[in-house]
Amino acid sequence: MNILNLIEDFEKFKCGMELFLKPPEFSVGTTPSELIFSEDKMKLIHYIPIVEKPHLVPILIVYALVNRYYILDLQPDKSVIKKLLEEGFDVYVIDWGYPSGADRYLTLDDYVNGYINNAVDKIRERSGLDKITLLGVCQGGTFSVMYAAMHPEKVKNLVTLVTPVNFDTDKGLLHLWAKSLDVDKIVDYYGIVPGDFLNSGFLLLDPFRLMIDKYVGMFDRIECNPDDTTCAIRNEDYIKNFLRMEKWIFDSPDQAGETFRQFMKDCYQKNLLIKNEMILDGKKINLKNITMPLLNVMAETDHLVPNAASIPLNDAVSSADKQMLVFPTGHIGIFVGSKSQKEVCPKIAAWLKPRSLLDGKGDEKTESGNEELPELAKEKTVEQNRKKRKSKVNKK
Amino acid sequence: MMKVFSTFVNLYMAGMETSSNLQSLFMEAMRKVQEKTATYMEGEISPDKYKHFYNVWMETYSETFKEFSKSGHFVSDIGKLNSYLMDFQKYNREMLEENYLKPMNLPTKTEIDEINKELYSLKKTVKELTIQIKELKEKKEGCKDMT
Repeated sequence: MNILNLIEDFEKFKCGMELFLKPPEFSVGTTPSELIFSEDKMKLIHYIPIVEKPHLVPILIVYALVNRYYILDLQPDKSVIKKLLEEGFDVYVIDWGYPSGADRYLTLDDYVNGYINNAVDKIRERSGLDKITLLGVCQGGTFSVMYAAMHPEKVKNLVTLVTPVNFDTDKGLLHLWAKSLDVDKIVDYYGIVPGDFLNSGFLLLDPFRLMIDKYVGMFDRIECNPDDTTCAIRNEDYIKNFLRMEKWIFDSPDQAGETFRQFMKDCYQKNLLIKNEMILDGKKINLKNITMPLLNVMAETDHLVPNAASIPLNDAVSSADKQMLVFPTGHIGIFVGSKSQKEVCPKIAAWLKPRSLLDGKGDEKTESGNEELPELAKEKTVEQNRKKRKSKVNKK
Repeated sequence: MMKVFSTFVNLYMAGMETSSNLQSLFMEAMRKVQEKTATYMEGEISPDKYKHFYNVWMETYSETFKEFSKSGHFVSDIGKLNSYLMDFQKYNREMLEENYLKPMNLPTKTEIDEINKELYSLKKTVKELTIQIKELKEKKEGCKDMT
């Protein structure tokens, strides 16, 4: 009986392996787009709007330098970008490309005050507006925060997704490990820091699940039977989606050494950004310069950017209109999980819509979006107010 | 040569220390798995039992490693290992450049880096000048409109 089961399992495994040796063709980032501007390796991509009259204020998505932006458009049926287009937004995204040896001396200032600023200017020129919405993701969110603090006159709304700003926390392993790294030695040796080197660090966060369990789970999930000729068709979508994610995980561009050096030392090791002590282009970044509406979106079980790294942003800025949203998902699930389509995108869109209106002069007209806020945000706001009241009482 | 050797010794020792720490960790994890599954795996073995065993194994190893990876030991191991590895690779490269590439009149990474630095600073200057030219042109056109 046991031997028979074992043989059956082996046959199932063999059949699954055969499916993987002849994988179906798949693609990522399929939402129709056009290239509108490029500078060195950076490309500014514009997604073709799918509604007749998109909301006037365009959104620029700034992704991290680690991995690639197409996680936001991974599957046709699970795409943050497609969802934003369906919600009527005009969406742009920065593709950082693959830096090479020639880019090793690019600094954080080149990224923030150079590439992002030029991309923003290009969109402002195209739309004829003074300000646009910035939506930063992960490290791209940190860049967006820096940008919004240095160029507040060009940012109408700031949305940060799973964005670290307070790096002095022991909640996330990356934050702990980064403190012990001799960043100078890494950059001085590599010059351009290999994506594979960084990726091995991410895999080390949970090696058993990421390098064993994931693949065991995949074979377990495939309903494969050697006698059934239709199993390839039945499993096609699942295999395609699995491979899409694998492609994204291992598609890690190398990083410009000087940028990596400053980001790791100033942010992860010295935590200068939240203290308003970080310097770019000879100027201090003061987060109090952020006065535009802010939406800070977090994932409750985020193992890369713990909530403790994102929450302090709301207290560090001067914006009167600021919200926090926390979703019961993880760092990647917030983009590709089923909740992403059903909850995350619609709630971001609901927050942005009333803040993407213009008055007759072409200047911003921020409406209070509190009536339209999702329940979760309302709860958060109530909770924040409660805490404030409590601390006031304690002070008294 | 001596530099490479002493760095190699440091790297080897850091590697052994890390490996010994990991071995103790996995022994501990294995002990926990045995404790959790000893009674369950008695009697006839069925596929469900294999699955249960796998789940317990995965969860225990994963959690034990996670706990360890938060500890000062692991953080210090990773830091040391990485630092010695970079030193070792750097001295190796220097040796290779001095003893092989330079005598053969081949470009070294250090020389390529110098060119990259020069290229970066030239590009930056060109970008700044382009912006200045654009601004001057706009000013000039503004003046023309005024007159």
